[in-house]
Amino acid sequence: MKRASILILLLLFPLVLFATGQDEGQMATIRFWYHFDNPDAAVTPLVQKFEQENPNIKVTPEFIAWDVYNQKLLTAVAAGNPPDVSQIKLWWQPQLVEMSALLDLSDYVADWDGRDDVFDKIWELTEYTDGNQYLMPLQMVILYMYYRTDMFNELGLKPATTRSEFLDLAKKLTRDTNGDGTVDVYGFGIRGARGGHDWWGTFVLSSGAEFFLPNGNSGLITPEAVAANQWFIDLYRVHQVSPPTTPNDGFQQIIANMQSGKTAMTIHHIGSSKGLAEALGDKLSAAPVPKGTKKYWTSFGDEENGVLAATEFPDAAFEWAAFLATAENNAIWQKSSGQVSINKSNATAGGNRFLKATTDSADFAGVLPAHPGTAEFVESLWPTQMQRAFLGEISSAEMMQIFADHFSK
Amino acid sequence: MKRKIDLFPYTLLTPALSVTVLIIFFPIVQTAVMSLFNYVIWKPKDTRFIGLGNYLQALRDEVFWISLKNTIFWIVGVIVLQLLLGFVTAMLLNREFKWRGLARSLILIPWVTPSVITALMWRWMYDGNNGVINDLLVRIGLLKSYFPWLANSSTALPAIMVALMWQGFPFFAIMILAGLQAIPRTLYEAAEVDGATRLQMFGRITLPMLTPILLTSILLRIIWVANSMDVIFVMTGGGPGYATHTLPVFAFIRAYKGLDFGYASTIAIFLTLLLIAIVAGYVIRVLRSQEALR
Repeated sequence: MKRASILILLLLFPLVLFATGQDEGQMATIRFWYHFDNPDAAVTPLVQKFEQENPNIKVTPEFIAWDVYNQKLLTAVAAGNPPDVSQIKLWWQPQLVEMSALLDLSDYVADWDGRDDVFDKIWELTEYTDGNQYLMPLQMVILYMYYRTDMFNELGLKPATTRSEFLDLAKKLTRDTNGDGTVDVYGFGIRGARGGHDWWGTFVLSSGAEFFLPNGNSGLITPEAVAANQWFIDLYRVHQVSPPTTPNDGFQQIIANMQSGKTAMTIHHIGSSKGLAEALGDKLSAAPVPKGTKKYWTSFGDEENGVLAATEFPDAAFEWAAFLATAENNAIWQKSSGQVSINKSNATAGGNRFLKATTDSADFAGVLPAHPGTAEFVESLWPTQMQRAFLGEISSAEMMQIFADHFSK
Repeated sequence: MKRKIDLFPYTLLTPALSVTVLIIFFPIVQTAVMSLFNYVIWKPKDTRFIGLGNYLQALRDEVFWISLKNTIFWIVGVIVLQLLLGFVTAMLLNREFKWRGLARSLILIPWVTPSVITALMWRWMYDGNNGVINDLLVRIGLLKSYFPWLANSSTALPAIMVALMWQGFPFFAIMILAGLQAIPRTLYEAAEVDGATRLQMFGRITLPMLTPILLTSILLRIIWVANSMDVIFVMTGGGPGYATHTLPVFAFIRAYKGLDFGYASTIAIFLTLLLIAIVAGYVIRVLRSQEALR
C-alpha cells in the first residue's frame, strides 16, 4: 500500500511540473525580444514602470543582435519556442503571416485608447495586405542624407534637391585635397554590403523602377528601371564618386568614412546622428534625399512590435506592446533607441537638424513590398547582385532580371 | 567450449558512444534526410519529400559550382601557406637561441585568438580607406594609393587566405616541432660523418621522418579548413558577389538568409562527400604503405 502511494505520487509529480495556464490573478510572464543600435541602451526602466502599473505581468526582455534577428525569430517560430512579443521589421511580416506566426491585433487596436495619437501614415504603412493589423507601431526610422557642411562651405555648395544636382555635387566633392595625385575625398559613401538597398532605393525606386506594376508584372525590368539602376551603378563604375571599397562597405565603414572625411555625403537615419554629431559637431548636417526623375523615395525603415500567435498570454502581450506605443513611454523608448516617436503628441516643432530632416522626409518615405521574397532580397540577394554589378560581372539589365525572377516566385 | 564475451569494456564505452551518436551522427542523419525534402522554414505548408530534387538543383546551380571551385582553391591555398610558414617556424624554433621558450609560447597567440576577433582585426587591417596594410604598402612605395583588398573579386579570397595562414600556422609549427625533436640526433651525426650536405640531410632524414606527422596534420587541417566559414563570413559575408563563396559559406547563406534548410543541407552533404573522398584517399594510401612494409 505504501509502495503504491509512493508510485502514484511519483507519477503525478511530472504533471505538477508541467502544469500551465493562467488562472485569474496568476502572474503572466512575457518574453520580449528587442534590438537597439546601441547595445548599452537600457530597456529596464520601461520594464520596471510597466510592471509597477501591471503587477500581474512580468516582462523578460532579451536583446537580440541585428544581424541574426530575422533568422533567430523565424527559427524560434519553426521550433515552437518564439517570444511573446518581438520587434519586427515590416518586410518580415509576409513570412511570419505565411507561418501563421503573428496574432491578429485588429480588435485590440480598435479598442485601444492610444490609437488616434499615432500618426495615420504609420497605421497605413503597417496594415498588412489582407487588411489585418498584425503589428503595433514602435518607432519611426526614416532615412535622410548626411552631408559635411565644412566641405560644402569650402566649395560654396548647397544640398541637392534633384538627382542631377546630386551627381554634380558628388563630382565636385570628389577630389585630391593634398596634391599627391590621388583622390582622397569622395562625394558619396554608398553602402554596398547588406543594408545598402536603401541607398539603391533612393535613386532607383525614385526614377522609374517599381517592384510591381499595377497589373502585377515586374516594374524592375522596364527600360526606365534598368536605366535608373545603370545610373546608380555608374556612380561607382563611371563617375567614381564613391570609394573603391564600396562593394564591401557596411554600416561601420560608411559611418567611419563620414567621420574621417573620406566621404562628403551618405545616407542613414537619426539613430547614428548622436555619435556622428559628437565627432563632427557643426561640420555635419542633414537634409532630405534628392528627388529622382519621377518622385522622392526614401526608406521608412520601421520597426514595430508583433505579438506572436503562440503566446499563452495574448492580453498581457498586447498590454506590453500598447504600453510601448503610448506617448509617454514611447518617448522614453526613443531616448534609448535614438529614433523618432510615433506619437502626434510627442512631435516637437523645430527640433535639431537631424529630426527636421527626418520629419521633412516623412511624407514620401516608403516601404519595400509586402512579399515573402523581400526578406531574402534584403538579406542576401540585393547585396550579392549589387556587388556583381559594381564589379562589372553582370549588367544592369541582368541584375534587375534576377530581382524580377526572385519576386515572381 | 564457448568463449565468454567480456562486456565490461563495452559498458565503459557506452556513455561516450551515446554522446557521439547523439551530437554527431544524429545531426548528420537529420541533415541527410532534410536534403531530400523541400524545406523552407517560412513555407511550412510546402514542405514535401522531393528525393534528389535538391541535388539536381545544385548541379544546375552556377553558384554551387563557383563555391566548389572556390572551396578547392581555398583548401589548397590555405594548407600550403600554413604548412610552409609552420615548417619554417618549426625549423627556427628547433634551434637553440635565447628567447626560444618565450617564442614557442608567443606563436600560439594566433591559434588561440577567437576566429571572430581574427576576422574583425584583419578586416580593419585590410580596410581600403583606413587600413594599416595599405598604409605600410604606400609608405614603402609598393602601392601608389590604397587598394580595396576585400572589395575586389580577384583579391578578396587570397586576402582572407593570408588571414587564415596567420591563424593556422601555429598548429603546423607545433606538430612539426614535436616531430623534429623526435628525430634521433645520431642520424644527423652519422650523415655528417658520411659527408652529407644540409640539403641532403633535410631530404633524406628530416622529411622522411616527418612524413607521418605531416600527413596526419595536413589531413586534419584539410577537414578543419574546408569546414571553416566564420572568418570568411565576418570579413566579406561571402562577397563581393560570389568571390568568397565556399561551400560552407554558401550553405550557411542559403540556410540563414534564404531559410532554405533543404537546399542548404544538400550543399553540406556535397561538402561531406568531398571530404570523405579526401579522407578515404589518405586512409587507402596509409593502408597500402603499411602492407608494403609487411
